[in-house]
Amino acid sequence: MNTTSVLRVCVAFGLLCVACVAPAAAESTLYKAGTVYTMTGEPLSPGQVLVTDGKIAAVGRTVNAPADATVVDLGEDSSLLPGFVDAYTQTGLAGGTDEFTAELTPDFCPALAIDWNDRGFEESLATGTTTLAICPGTENVIAGCSCLAKTTGEKDSRILQNDAALFISVCSDPARRNGARSRPDGLYNRLPTNRMGVVWILRSTFDKVRRGREVTARDEIESGLSGQRPLMAVARTSHDITALLTIGEEFDFAPPVIVGGQETYKVTEQVAAAGLSVILGPMTTGSSNGPERTELAYNQAGLLSEAGITFAFSGGNLLEQARFACRFGLEPNEALQAITKTPAELIGVSDRVGTIAPGMDADLVAVDGDPMEFTSGIRFVMVNGQVFEQ
Amino acid sequence: MARTIRSMTRQVPQFAALVAATALLVTVSAASAQETVAVKGGRIITMAGEPIENGVVVIVDGKITAVGANVSIPVEARVIDATGKVVMPGFVEAHTAAGLSQANESSNPSVPYLSVMDGIDPSRPYFEQARRDGITSAAMVPGNSGMISGQAAVIKTGGLYVDDMVLKSNTAMKISLSPSGGNSRMGHLSALRHELDAAKDFADENADADVSTLEEAVQQQLQMAIVKLVKGQMPAYIYCADAMDVAHAIQLTQDYGFKATLVLNQDCYKAADQIAAANLPVILDSTLVFWETNPRTNENERIVTTEIFRAAGVSFTFQTGSSNNSTLGSNYLWYQAATAVKYGMPEEEALAALTIRPAEMLGVDQFIGSLEVGKDGDLVILSGEPLQNDTWVETTIANGEVIYERSTDSQLRRLLNGDAENN
Repeated sequence: MNTTSVLRVCVAFGLLCVACVAPAAAESTLYKAGTVYTMTGEPLSPGQVLVTDGKIAAVGRTVNAPADATVVDLGEDSSLLPGFVDAYTQTGLAGGTDEFTAELTPDFCPALAIDWNDRGFEESLATGTTTLAICPGTENVIAGCSCLAKTTGEKDSRILQNDAALFISVCSDPARRNGARSRPDGLYNRLPTNRMGVVWILRSTFDKVRRGREVTARDEIESGLSGQRPLMAVARTSHDITALLTIGEEFDFAPPVIVGGQETYKVTEQVAAAGLSVILGPMTTGSSNGPERTELAYNQAGLLSEAGITFAFSGGNLLEQARFACRFGLEPNEALQAITKTPAELIGVSDRVGTIAPGMDADLVAVDGDPMEFTSGIRFVMVNGQVFEQ
Repeated sequence: MARTIRSMTRQVPQFAALVAATALLVTVSAASAQETVAVKGGRIITMAGEPIENGVVVIVDGKITAVGANVSIPVEARVIDATGKVVMPGFVEAHTAAGLSQANESSNPSVPYLSVMDGIDPSRPYFEQARRDGITSAAMVPGNSGMISGQAAVIKTGGLYVDDMVLKSNTAMKISLSPSGGNSRMGHLSALRHELDAAKDFADENADADVSTLEEAVQQQLQMAIVKLVKGQMPAYIYCADAMDVAHAIQLTQDYGFKATLVLNQDCYKAADQIAAANLPVILDSTLVFWETNPRTNENERIVTTEIFRAAGVSFTFQTGSSNNSTLGSNYLWYQAATAVKYGMPEEEALAALTIRPAEMLGVDQFIGSLEVGKDGDLVILSGEPLQNDTWVETTIANGEVIYERSTDSQLRRLLNGDAENN
């Protein structure tokens, strides 16, 4: 072999590599599915989705694809859905989720404490979740702001927003911690050791903010109260939810999002009237009691839907939760809304994810069969146009 | 009433006969006596041949007397219309401790003489949920701790008194390979073998010996269950906590010559090929899908146990998870089957794993597991095709008696909607 041919081989090899590595420049793939659930209107059956450079370029019953587009026919039984959005999770939050030495940590952000290699991201992705709201824990009265991120991808491109919703706790968790008998006196012997104390801290803090008095991380709290950023309140029992409504009225803040909300079904009228939405805590079927001894109603989602309350599912395994909600009384379309479009809206990223529409991130889930059937498996999950076969 | 106590207080000479009698099959017929029931009009999935469209099942005195498309319905029959619905054999759960009050004996790891018959609590929520989910028979088995933990029984899920519910008592011995009482695995296995060896010796020396005192008789009675095990007259459930336990379980069955069904914890999928080679049936852990991280490479892997065991050629069935199991839906037996189908199991096989397969594993397939003439009148009427999301159990029938009806299930309505109406 002479030098020229060696050189030629090298050049050819180099070009080949470039072709592989180069960001799929103007590379388009057309996906044909039995049904495309766009979540912007009626499902398209059959439907087509054109994906170009990690974005959705077009969607419709038929789509004009470039001549060089790769065509993937998923078959007539298949379904394409938007990637699922988990609106409340602690996935990847490393080194503890709660601050033990303070009650108010409104400017805490999970972003720099996330282990991006955590297995939870992979598990989440495998069940079809493409976007997560990674939130601080529930043991601080004002706990911090959530981080919105994709379940996979290079670190920098994964984060959608560093400091999203502000989290407050209207539940007994902060008191439970301080009231623990195993705690030594001194450092931990302080407010709140009961739930009244939790509410008192919230009210006195909001009061200070309103009066212009000195308060920790005023900007974060103020932006949450004014509605500049979503305000999310962990409240599970019906009395915690009504307490939240009362505080909301007193300080006239923008309608918060209830997180957990296990007993929302008991106070639907008040919640609907106040215009609150709910991010429902993970569903269970094994017990009729939830955290804080809440009384569960398996058809809670159906009851909230009847009452006209906006809700999303959260806490992993979203498609399975939607399926069970459907079994227990929710309409299939609403069950899908509650794991795609609605959580995207509630956490504030509906301009990028949650629906299948031109310009949106190419985050898709391909299901073999009816998405609401327990026997239908996920074929692949796509994040920013990248396909992860299951 | 305590079975062992009852027989021990009887006279000594009839002792052997009594032991035999307590171990005999007791099929229920009391409550369902003299009634004829006909379920007509549904699609009947018999699990013994092709499904029958628009068929009829006739049950007389608790037993199936006819199944087919062209069956005449006796005039005296109570007719249950299943038009447009699906009729299947009642589901069978092959291993659960959820029907027992205090399922683990913690005072002594070796209690082969105990019987679940003395610990079944028919008022436990398990039974109500089982009837609602179409389970008509369930094997009550002592829990997974302990060592030789007592004898299992197969019972029907309908009834208020254990004696009315029992299909077969003293069916199998529960053995656990999970170390108990602070033992190491070595110590646990050594103690277990010690007990089995002692039983073998006892069997060799005393099995045919005349007993002359009550004390000896009691001693013999206490030993009988484990003697039956080592004589190969009673099978075992062997609980394997880790994959390494499987090899020991197989060795035990070979050394002591008894049949066994393996009750597997999650980790045991690693021994699937070993189990296949030993040709032992398996009851899977209720969590069928989980993730593992390789401790050396940190690679994450999703494990789907149903697919691993199917690929290895192992015959398995499911069990329901406990209420604190975090796997959504694992408390439903049908959901386990649906999950298996999702990951590749043919639906027919999944339905068999809910019915005839566990019946065979439990050695009661001459009574239950399929809709055939002569078998018990145990069936479920489903609102639609099995394993579909919107399919519900409409009616559950055991021994020809309706033990569940969805239309009157006020508890289900409360579970679904809470007491929202009252707020």
